[in-house]
Order: sequence, then C-alpha cells, then structure tokens
Amino acid sequence: MDTMRVVIAEDAALLREGLTRLLEERGHEVCAAVSDGDALLAAVAGHKPDVAVVDIRMPPTHTDEGLRAALRLRQDHRDTGVLVFSQYIETRYAARLLEGNAAGVGYLLKDRVADVADFMAALTRVADGGTALDPEVVSQLFRASRHADGLATLTRRERDVLALMAEGRSNAGISAALVISGGAVEKHVASIFGKLGLPPSEGDNRRVLAVLRYLGG
Amino acid sequence: MSGTAPGDVASPHGPAPRGDVPVTLAERVLLAPFSPRARRDALYCLVSVPLGIAGCAAVAWVLGPSLVVSASVLGTVVGLLGVVLALRLARRLGGLYRWVAARLLGEQITAPPPFRRPAGSIIVRLDARLRDGVAWRAIGYSLLKLPLAYGQFLALTFWVCGLADMSYPVWWPLFRSASPAATLSPVSAATPPPFDSFVHATTWAGSLLVAIFGAALLLIAPWLTRGVVTADRWLARSLLSAGTLTQRVRDLEQARARVVDDSVALLRQVERDLHDGAQVRLAAMAMNLGMAKEKLGADGQPLDVRRARELVDAAHLGAKEALVELRELVRGIHPPVLEVGLAEALATLAAGSAIPVRVSAELPVRPTPAIETIAYFCAAELLANATKHSGANKVGINAEIIDSERTSVLRVGVCDDGAGGADPARGSGLAGLERRVGAVDGRLTVSSPAGGPTRITIELPMKA
Repeated sequence: MDTMRVVIAEDAALLREGLTRLLEERGHEVCAAVSDGDALLAAVAGHKPDVAVVDIRMPPTHTDEGLRAALRLRQDHRDTGVLVFSQYIETRYAARLLEGNAAGVGYLLKDRVADVADFMAALTRVADGGTALDPEVVSQLFRASRHADGLATLTRRERDVLALMAEGRSNAGISAALVISGGAVEKHVASIFGKLGLPPSEGDNRRVLAVLRYLGG
Repeated sequence: MSGTAPGDVASPHGPAPRGDVPVTLAERVLLAPFSPRARRDALYCLVSVPLGIAGCAAVAWVLGPSLVVSASVLGTVVGLLGVVLALRLARRLGGLYRWVAARLLGEQITAPPPFRRPAGSIIVRLDARLRDGVAWRAIGYSLLKLPLAYGQFLALTFWVCGLADMSYPVWWPLFRSASPAATLSPVSAATPPPFDSFVHATTWAGSLLVAIFGAALLLIAPWLTRGVVTADRWLARSLLSAGTLTQRVRDLEQARARVVDDSVALLRQVERDLHDGAQVRLAAMAMNLGMAKEKLGADGQPLDVRRARELVDAAHLGAKEALVELRELVRGIHPPVLEVGLAEALATLAAGSAIPVRVSAELPVRPTPAIETIAYFCAAELLANATKHSGANKVGINAEIIDSERTSVLRVGVCDDGAGGADPARGSGLAGLERRVGAVDGRLTVSSPAGGPTRITIELPMKA
C-alpha cells in the first residue's frame, strides 16, 4: 500500500501532532486526529480510513476507553485496521483485541515510534489486514506459556523466528529482520511447526493465531 | 490529685510520710475541716451546684422538646436540628465542666478531639452530628449533674449549718439578755435539710450544746463533700474524657482508612503525572530523534540536514521539558531538602513563592521524618492556597515546638493578609489537610473571617 488513509486518536497533543507529521512526511493522509473514543468512532465512520491509531487511555476516565473503541471498530468496520497504541503493555488487552481474529489488528508500545521504519512497517501491515503485536507482549507470552517444555526443544534461531511470527511478521519480514534467506525462514518455520505439533496453516493471519493460541494455552 | 502540693496535709488514705510524726486517726478526723482539700471540695461544690443546675436545665430544655417534636411526622427535621443544637450545647458545656474541674480540683481530663465536620451534604453532616458519641456522653453528664448538684448542695448545708451553730454562743448574750425572768421559746440549732431540727437551746449553756452540734456537723462536712465530689469526678472522667477505648479504636480505624485511601490516591496521581507528562515527552522525543536519524541518511533515505536539525532541536527542547517535569514531580513526592530539616525546607518553599513569604522557624528538636513531611506538605498547600485564592500581598510561615508538661507539639502557622473566608467545610483542600493532620492525631485550626486576615495553624505530635 503506497498511501494510507489514517485516523489518529490520542489525547496527548504532543504525540498527536508528532504522529500526524510523521505520517504526512511519508506521504500518507491523516484524515482526522482526535482525542477521545467517541470522536474516533465518528471519524472512522465518516472517513472509512485504512487504519486507525488508537491510544488506550483517553478522556474521560483515562482507563481503557481506547480499547473499547478499538473493539467497536473491529466489529463495525472490518475494513479498517486498528493499531492500539499504549504506554504500557497488558497481555489481557492483547488477548481481547485478537479474540478469534488476528486480521488487521495491532498492539504496540508507544516507544516503538522511535524506530520509525519498524513502526511504519507495522502500521502498513495492520492497514493491509495483517497483525502487529509488540515484542513485549510476545516475550510476556513466552514467559507465561505453559508449554515451556515444547519451547525448550526449539533452537535459539527457531525461538527468534517463532517470536517474529507471533509479532505478525510475514516470512519476508522475518528474513529481513534476521538477515537470513527466505528459504532458511521457510525451513525454520516448518521445523517449528513440526516440533510443536502445530498444523501447517495457510496465510499469515492464521499462522499468527495458531502461534498465539499455542503460546497462550 | 495534687497530694504532693506543699502545705497539703497527709492524704487520709495514704501512709504517713516517713520521718514525720505519724498522724493519728483522731488528728486526721479533727483536722479534716481545715485541710486544703476540704476547702477545695467545698469551693468546687459552691461553683458546681448553680452551674450544674443551669447546665442541666439548658440541655433538658433544648433536648426534651426536640425529641418530642422529632418523633412527630411533620416536625422530624426541626426536631433533629434541635437535637443537634442540644448536642453542640452539651459539647460546649463539657468543655466548661472540664475547665472548672481542672481549675478547682486539679482534675486533668483529656479533652476529646473536636468534632470533625465531614465533607458532604447536609444529611451527611447531620448524621455525623447525631452519631457524635462525645456529645451524647456530655449530655449524659449534664443530666446526671442534677442529682449530683443536689448532693453537693446537701453537703454544703453541713458546712453552713455547722458554722452557724458554732456561732450561737457568741451572739446569744446579745439577743437573749432581755430579762432572766421572761420565758423565751427555745432556739433551734440550724440543721441540714433532710433532718428536722432536734437540738434546741434555752440558755447560754444550752447554746454551747448547739455549738458542739455545729462542730460535729463541720467534722462530718468534709467527708460528705469529698464523697459527692469524688462521685462527680468519676462521672466527669468517664463521660467527659477523650472517650472509651472502643471509641478510640473506631477513630483510629477511620483514620487508617483515610490514610490508606490518601496514599493510593497519591500513587495514582504520581502515575497519572508520569503517564501524561514525562512519558509523553520522552515518547515524542524518541519519535523526533528517530525521524531525524532517517533525515541523516539512515535506511537509505535522502539526506535532509535542515529538517534533521529541526527535529533534533525539538527533541532537545523535549528533553529539557521532561527534566523540568520530572524535577517538579520528584519534589512533589518528597522534597530532598527535607533531609536537611523542616526549617530549610520551609525556607526553600518560601524562596520559590510568587508572593513574599517571611519564614520563622525555631526547631531545636527534629520531629520524625513522617511528621516533617506532613508539616511541609501542609505548609506548601496552605501557601499555594494563599497565592491562588486569597489575593494576599504577603504570607508569614512560622514553625515552632511548643513544650507542655507532658508532651511536645510541632506547631506550624501560615497567615496571610488576603481576603479571608477559608472554610474546611466548603470542600476546599483544607478538608484534605485536616484528614492528613488528623491521621496522626494532629489538629488544624482555621481563623479566616471574611475580609481576612487568614491564620491557619496545624499542630502535630513530634512522632506519628
């Protein structure tokens, strides 16, 4: 996707403006930049953007209204990707966002904007209907997973590949991140699925769900 | 009891002072009417009788009709307001009774804490008033004071009659010298009320008998006054003091709940401040630096030095702002200068104020860190109030340690020449301060008439 149409919902003016500028400099269109959940729903309904960037904590209660708005968007506007953006990571929030469907959803720490290229790649992935899960969520899932035995059978490289798969990256994305060939990635993926006993799945989204279900179970 | 006061005779209950001539029972009985204690007790009765009757009448007058009216359907509100009035009156009377007991008997009764008006609607305040155990106990004492006053009155009549009877032989020759032949009706001795007069005199020699009767009354009088005064003391101690252990426990439980709530609220505030302040600034800074890196040619992007410099400038500014914000936040959590001492912390506080502040702090002894912290934050909040709301031109802060017989107290006063009208009940920050101070058994007193000046004093124990 060359040019994305984006709606931003973020209550801190500094970040809202920074994000707008970042996206516009890269030639994307920011349809609306709002500061609360209701305005977000209205803006998405009005502009039908490719993706919405949503801060979890927004007025009036500063708890999880961003998350609730994001869940509404996931239900009502399936064509709009939702990237939830937060200053801290809560694995349960990730689980609620992904519930049964990893298409067009992302959950990232705000810190990730520091690596502009990575952030843009994640946003593009979500806009295209893919998944972007923060490495922090993935490492929490690894730590909390009851399948420690299964994970222990993996080589170090395979664990890296598994983590990147859980983040929602495609084989191409994994090969770029680890600087290995596409063939090597495919070999690792096949080996991982074999060792963990996961059914081979078609498409990145189903693969993400399978991996997450394994880690979360 | 001030049994060791100089000039006091040996306590009749205690052993004779070692090394002195032992006081025999006869001496004790004979000297009792002349003892300072007897004088004290009698004087107390003299004050207590009219005071007790008046107090009881006042409380009964307000309380009785109010209770009757409040039981009716239409008069509930009026009646309850009347009951509240009676409770407030009784609290005042309790203070007066404690003062009299302290002045005349040396009986130090710990005063209960002042009524804490809760913030909230009139219903909440009414409810708190009606549950004010201190005031109800004061009502109990005020009402029981009536039978006590009667007993004290009887005891006093023993003194009066005794003295009168002893004077018979003196005035007898003056009034009964008319004619030895005349038959005069016998004169009765003055006799205390419950008894009919049973001693009579017809001759001067007979009047001596009356005098002996009077002496007997005077010998009994000190024991009688002591009895009724002891009963009064006991009642005052149990009904007018700071309260039973149960009450104290309840107060402490409430105070603890408030402290826990406050500390949770404080932590949330800190989290919110960090989340909305420094964290946002740092995230924006990281974003700016990330973009600047790209403009400098990372990831194969075209070089754009001008834009890169703009972004670095923005990040630099953001870093400085984040530092300021963090510094403010840290000072809000615990000002480092408090480690040096409260006086220095108050001076620093004054130096940062927008209006001139004069600080005088005499603190030869340091309170515990917790107390210093509470005192500091109260002073900071009061100073902020004065700056924001009162329109004051100058503010004075003074801190001192007040030593009394039993305990030392840290007293911090903040006064300003502003508009006045500060009231803890009006939901201002003062109520929060009152809670903080109350949590360590401290007190906050506000004097802020409309038009000013405002003087707010907090008193804290030296350790929490």
